[in-house]
Amino acid sequence: MSETSKFTEDILTAAKERSERVVREAETETQHAFEEAKSHMSREADDIIHNAQAEAEAVRRREMSEVRHRLKLEEQVEKSKVLSEVLESTRKRVTEIVNDEGRYLPYLAGYVEIGIRELGLENVTVHLNAVDLKRIDAGKLEREIAKRMQKPVAIEWSKEPIEALGGAIISSNDGKTRIVNTFDERFEALESKLLMEAGKLLFGE
Amino acid sequence: MSGIETIKIIVDAEKEAAEMLQKAHTKATEIRKELDMRIKLEREEILKSARKEAAAIIEHAQQDGKLEAAVYEKEAGQKTRQIVSKASAKKSPAVDKLVTLVLEG
Repeated sequence: MSETSKFTEDILTAAKERSERVVREAETETQHAFEEAKSHMSREADDIIHNAQAEAEAVRRREMSEVRHRLKLEEQVEKSKVLSEVLESTRKRVTEIVNDEGRYLPYLAGYVEIGIRELGLENVTVHLNAVDLKRIDAGKLEREIAKRMQKPVAIEWSKEPIEALGGAIISSNDGKTRIVNTFDERFEALESKLLMEAGKLLFGE
Repeated sequence: MSGIETIKIIVDAEKEAAEMLQKAHTKATEIRKELDMRIKLEREEILKSARKEAAAIIEHAQQDGKLEAAVYEKEAGQKTRQIVSKASAKKSPAVDKLVTLVLEG
């Protein structure tokens, strides 16, 4: 082989080697870049799955929470119905007692007695509803009250009827101080206690 | 071989070598360019698959949630009916107690 041939062959061999290296480097570089990109994609995919799992848990919880809330409300409505029925029956039963003079009179006497004691006055005015004003024997009631108080009492019976299911308003004669002891007032004052008691009795709450 | 011929042979070899190198650079550039497309396609494929799996997970959770809720609703409905039934049986003594509270409490 001539010197020239050897020289040109060396040039071409060197060029070939360099060319192969250029391509190889590009391949290696892109392979690394691809692996790195794949690792990043994998993390992105994991994030998507992870978020989906979290959302799935939230979906499950939301579904249950909505049903629980709705059922709790329905249960409350059903319980309220029973409570309302019991309160209504209580009101009816009290009305029946009020209509039965024999059973009602001792309670009325008791309410007036409590009012007189709370006022701490010798002379009082007692206000009744229209029905009681007509049917109650004031003398008999006064005697019953005196018996309970173990002393005579001076009661003035107001001619003006009050608006009430039953019971009485006991006031000083000048009307400045009043003790309201009507059933309506008792129902109102006891409402939350009645509801709590009924809840305990009916639902063990 | 004359000197000129020798130089010509060497210049031709240099040219060929330069072309060879140029081709190699062109190929390297193509390889790098292809990488972007390859990554893009791979990413689309992987994310598409992940989104499909994610949708299936959520769909499954919705189904599960509905089933669990239905079971709970059935049980809770029975429980409420029992509570109301028991309470209804206790209405009369409860009214007695409340009447006493109103009259005497």
